[in-house]
Amino acid sequence: MTKTNDAAENTGKIKLRTLPHAKDLKWPMLWWIGMEKLYRTLPWKKTAWTCAAFPIEMMWIYDIFPDHPENMATVAAARKQSQRLIEHAEGMGFSRDVCSYCKTNIGAYETRIKKTLGGISKPDIVVCTNAICDTHWKWFQLMAHRMNVPFFMFDIPKWVSGTDEKTLESNIDYVVDQFFDLIVFIEKHTGKKLNEKRLYKVLDRSMELSNLWREIFEYRKAVPSPYSGAETSAAFFPLVVLPGVQVGINFFRKILADIKNLTAKGEGTMPPGKEKFRVMWEGIPFWYRMRFMYDLAQYGIVIAFEPYTYSFAPEKKKCATMEETLRHVAKLIMDTPYAYNLERRIESFEKWIDEYKIDGVILHENMSCRPSCAGMVDLAEAIMRDKGIPVLILQCDMNDPRAYSEAQIKTRIEGFVELMEANKK
Amino acid sequence: MFVMEKLAYFDTSHEMPLEIIMAAGLTPYKILGDVHQSNDPADKYLSSFFCPAARSWLTEALAHSQEWAGIVFAQGCNASNRHYDIWKVHVQTPFLHWFGAPLLESEAAKKYYRVELQRFISHLENHFGIKITPEKIKEAIGKSNAVKQKLQQLSALRAHKDIPNRDYLAAVIQCLNSPVEDVLVWLEAELARWQAKPDFPSGRKRFLLTGSDVTYVEWMDVLDDCGIRVVRDDLSIGERFFATLIPDRSDPLDAVRDYYMNIPKPATRPTIQKRLDYLYKALAETKVDGILSQNLKFCEPYAYDSVPVNKALKEKGYNVIHLERDFSPAADQQLANRLAAFVEMLEVSHHD
Repeated sequence: MTKTNDAAENTGKIKLRTLPHAKDLKWPMLWWIGMEKLYRTLPWKKTAWTCAAFPIEMMWIYDIFPDHPENMATVAAARKQSQRLIEHAEGMGFSRDVCSYCKTNIGAYETRIKKTLGGISKPDIVVCTNAICDTHWKWFQLMAHRMNVPFFMFDIPKWVSGTDEKTLESNIDYVVDQFFDLIVFIEKHTGKKLNEKRLYKVLDRSMELSNLWREIFEYRKAVPSPYSGAETSAAFFPLVVLPGVQVGINFFRKILADIKNLTAKGEGTMPPGKEKFRVMWEGIPFWYRMRFMYDLAQYGIVIAFEPYTYSFAPEKKKCATMEETLRHVAKLIMDTPYAYNLERRIESFEKWIDEYKIDGVILHENMSCRPSCAGMVDLAEAIMRDKGIPVLILQCDMNDPRAYSEAQIKTRIEGFVELMEANKK
Repeated sequence: MFVMEKLAYFDTSHEMPLEIIMAAGLTPYKILGDVHQSNDPADKYLSSFFCPAARSWLTEALAHSQEWAGIVFAQGCNASNRHYDIWKVHVQTPFLHWFGAPLLESEAAKKYYRVELQRFISHLENHFGIKITPEKIKEAIGKSNAVKQKLQQLSALRAHKDIPNRDYLAAVIQCLNSPVEDVLVWLEAELARWQAKPDFPSGRKRFLLTGSDVTYVEWMDVLDDCGIRVVRDDLSIGERFFATLIPDRSDPLDAVRDYYMNIPKPATRPTIQKRLDYLYKALAETKVDGILSQNLKFCEPYAYDSVPVNKALKEKGYNVIHLERDFSPAADQQLANRLAAFVEMLEVSHHD
């Protein structure tokens, strides 16, 4: 989620205004990097590889540093390293058709690339979930096997369209049972016991972090938009690995204050009068090409909402009992907006389109994330039918620059802009 | 004549508890698509970078779902799990069920599997107005095991008799998609036919076939044309379907659960080591000249596994070739050339 100095490349063009405290993102990042060094130095502390939708809080509760291969893969892409790492993995035999995050991670691990370029070190344990996709567990299992490290997988039942309440409850039972299996696994490999007081403290902080992000999203409903996807794509970093610690909260508080200040003055991220189209972006950004979000600004497009970063802010609150708390968290893991079933996806998108006053939707048909692309045609048709706004399905890849075709994408975006213009008349 | 209704199922490996369908008085029908038909109907809803076999299944369902009593999805490959939502919108069927087969084998997973079995039974009972009793399930288990035992006997003949690759695949497909009583009679005759075949032809090489499921016989013909005879495999339309028998338990639902949770693992289930364990066992039982690892285009689970699995097999000293294939009945000459060259290399090293 590292952002390159894209704004500087927009000299003479429409510039997106960055929030005064946007640069403070460096503090949670530096804290996280520093913590890894500390955790790797002190023998009683442990490190883990974790993935999106995994309850990261469980790591902080047990004093385990949560490293994040996906996050590091995005760093590699932003630092223009992902292609060579992907090609390294393909040289080992991995197919062109498998996830580019996975191949970036394999390449990064095998070539021992520097942390600042997206490198990652061997952990003490590997923990993951299939809440988002099975790629997570295939990839993590593969690397755990490769590194000879203990592996734990959280098997999350699928919340398919039409799932009834009774089925949902039995699905939650299964996830809750696995929390206890996870606790046994962690305690076996750390020698530590669960501290309930610490659990609630971490959950409180996690909840505060999510609430701040959700409040930021409330302000994003303002016209003009005070905070675009160009910035959130980097700024949501604390939600990825820091739910449960203070440093991310401090950063989000400053961002929220900036946004409140901006909206109070009626100002937005675009120069006055330049915000023409409020667009929803579905899917993972092109990490190797973050300039794309700034390029959109040249057409008067602001990414006013994106389900992807919103997905990272579930409200994991503590309940009256441990059992209730676990049930609540279990349901949230199954209910990640990024992995919504088609029915829930259509319903939620249409609600967000109204709330964020969206003029058009771009669906990133990501060749590295097939599950997220299933149902995209139906989603697009439903939005166009029910909301009467244009939808662009853009086939590309989140981490593999070879999938990005500048001219083709430009043509598609220009066509999309024309449709939005015509639709506004 | 009374013809039992077909209950079609979407299953990327062998996860569907067929005995429950049989106990409901229905004939399980595994949707396999038709490689000869264009996927255009499915491609209206799915991008071309989705598994072509799964797209073919949707094409078949769009054309034939009215002939089926219903459709059941078994949780399998993640890229196609979400196709359920698309089918729910576009495929007309009076009965649609999601069977959430867990990925793990833990106590929690066992408990959840029982819950999912019961939910499936209740849905069938309520929809079809039937009662699925333990006795009916036990009876179905008996028949299912009889089919598996016969298939084991057939399968064992591959290494000793002149059995074309297509005959083996066709036999397994026949067992998957026909009423079990008919299958048992047919298998008896087929076994006698196979036993009467000439001995294994001297010019052919014995291979183990692993990777993505093969769903059409034309691809098996390509192997024959290259001098390859598949004598072992770990495919779902293959040994995974019959390698183990459903155990005897006082509670038939426990038996069904224990069976499905312990069959040889596909790539959609952990772990790599468990997949390897079955391959090692097969290779210890049957001497082969080579191993063919193949991946259907866009089949992710096997694409991930192929690297560590093939590496492990090579480290054990086996001759392994890996290739990617399209979903097409036409012989891919480039692919055939590679296979033929590999077979030739085996012959040269054999003579050396």
